[in-house]
Amino acid sequence: MASQVFDWIRNSAALRGDRTVYSGMGDSISFGDLERFSASVATWVAKHSDIERPVAVMTGRNVFTPACYMGVARAGCFYAPMDAEMPHARLVQIMGVTEPSLMIADMEHLEIAKALAGDCEIAIMEEVINGPIDEDLVAAREASVTESSPLYMIFTSGSTGVPKGVLTSHRSLIGYLDGLNEVIHLDENDIIGNQAPLDYIAAIRDMYLPLMTGARTVMISKTEFAMPDALFRTLNENKITILCWSAAGLEIPAKLGGFEEGKPEYIRTIVFSGSVISNKYLRIWQENLPDVTFINQYGPTEATASCTYYVIKDVVNDDTVLPIGRAYKHYQILLLAHDEDNDTWSAVPDGEMGEICVKGPCLAIGYYRSKEQTDKVFMQNPLNKDYPELIYLTGDLGHIGEDGELYFHGRKDRQIKHMGHRVELAEIEAYALTIEGITECASLYDKKREHIYLFYAGEPAPKEITISFRADMPAFMVPRKIVQLDDMPHLPNGKIAMRELADRIPK
Amino acid sequence: MEELLEILSDLRPDVDFENETKLVTDGILDSFDIISLVSTLNDEFDITIRPANLVPDNFNSAEAMLELIEKLQDEE
Repeated sequence: MASQVFDWIRNSAALRGDRTVYSGMGDSISFGDLERFSASVATWVAKHSDIERPVAVMTGRNVFTPACYMGVARAGCFYAPMDAEMPHARLVQIMGVTEPSLMIADMEHLEIAKALAGDCEIAIMEEVINGPIDEDLVAAREASVTESSPLYMIFTSGSTGVPKGVLTSHRSLIGYLDGLNEVIHLDENDIIGNQAPLDYIAAIRDMYLPLMTGARTVMISKTEFAMPDALFRTLNENKITILCWSAAGLEIPAKLGGFEEGKPEYIRTIVFSGSVISNKYLRIWQENLPDVTFINQYGPTEATASCTYYVIKDVVNDDTVLPIGRAYKHYQILLLAHDEDNDTWSAVPDGEMGEICVKGPCLAIGYYRSKEQTDKVFMQNPLNKDYPELIYLTGDLGHIGEDGELYFHGRKDRQIKHMGHRVELAEIEAYALTIEGITECASLYDKKREHIYLFYAGEPAPKEITISFRADMPAFMVPRKIVQLDDMPHLPNGKIAMRELADRIPK
Repeated sequence: MEELLEILSDLRPDVDFENETKLVTDGILDSFDIISLVSTLNDEFDITIRPANLVPDNFNSAEAMLELIEKLQDEE
């Protein structure tokens, strides 16, 4: 096993330098190009930054973005991807947590980057990938960090109203992909179809599996996901064999009737994750592609993408409850129960429900610059009194079925999964309260229709509230149903009566 | 047209549907918007939008959507 991602970059450039690693969006680069571009980026970063510092990267959906990420890593630093399509206010929050001294932006997003940069120095992607290479400097930087040094920081919704930066090491990424590839066995003949935006955790599979296995990745244009004919054509023209998609992304072509007029011909394995998939749409995929292996994955960003998997055996029906399965290699799962009165933890008896906890070498390092948030969920294994051992509390509930597989039972708290994204309803409320004239509010989720609700008391009309949300928050955090009330209902203790609000959502 | 504009503005009050002509091509409407839009249009106008109709040209502007709706209504 490699110990850092740059071992992969060097090895694959030596082994198969002329072969394509990434293509799509009108461009294509080889493993050799990736080595060269990333060495050039690393040279610039190394000249401007100490090791183990964040570098913000705002470079859009193109084949050069992974070269920027890996260049940052080769300089011994870690990359913080920025989605230029996020509203300005959200990016300001993310920059506020990150406080990078360096940023890489492409020409297309340069103005957005400049508006955020402050004192931060910006390199233009198109220049920095073709800049001078100082081989000795890059080699020295690669030698100066270890496998537990941070590799990237990816942001996720935070219940306090500020997004949290999940910091992950080289070792965690390599461990996860090693575990995944024991199940899907990629080789040089495989072609991966990338759906996830490159700034999301899910894209680590599509970017790094080629380096590990010699496969290559085709990036599919975002607009094609709403247009199933075009999507399937792209999958077939590129002879794509592997999809590692979000469950929400996989549902889209089935929802839009994509299989009525065609189907993907070359796929052998589909891995999905991010939320509980709808059986109705999974069945459409299964019935149309009977020879394909479907794998359900589960796991939070804090456990490096996914920690458990289940290879689906049968075509699902409406009543099927899909397990999330068993732990990948390099992960262990515990189910713990918390006694609130004594603040003590215990293992749950066989078959009972408990909080899913993860341990092993693939846990994230923690939340960047947030010790308080980190300590709440990364803690000493309460069952181990003998030596230090960290576990991560996912906040998800699960039980082990009679078949020995792990089953998922939703959240302990008010976090939801919406359009494949993790969303804290408390963060939606915290934002709504910053809109002038809103005095009180509560956010609820209609799981059946996939609608986020916002109930509120105050002056502004619902339409004005949508416009505010659209201006400041990512699209997946904009409530679809906004309900103005004269007064919010309250419980005798003064808290908002959530049950009463839930009754207003159509059954 | 008015009914369509009302549906569109309920879906995305932040978008200027009367003037935008690259709603899909420029990524103003994402795939989740298209899914809700297709099911609303099917219900409200009593049509069936097929996968073959799901091309950017049919959804890039309110006018194009109206043409598609009228075409599908004529077919039924």
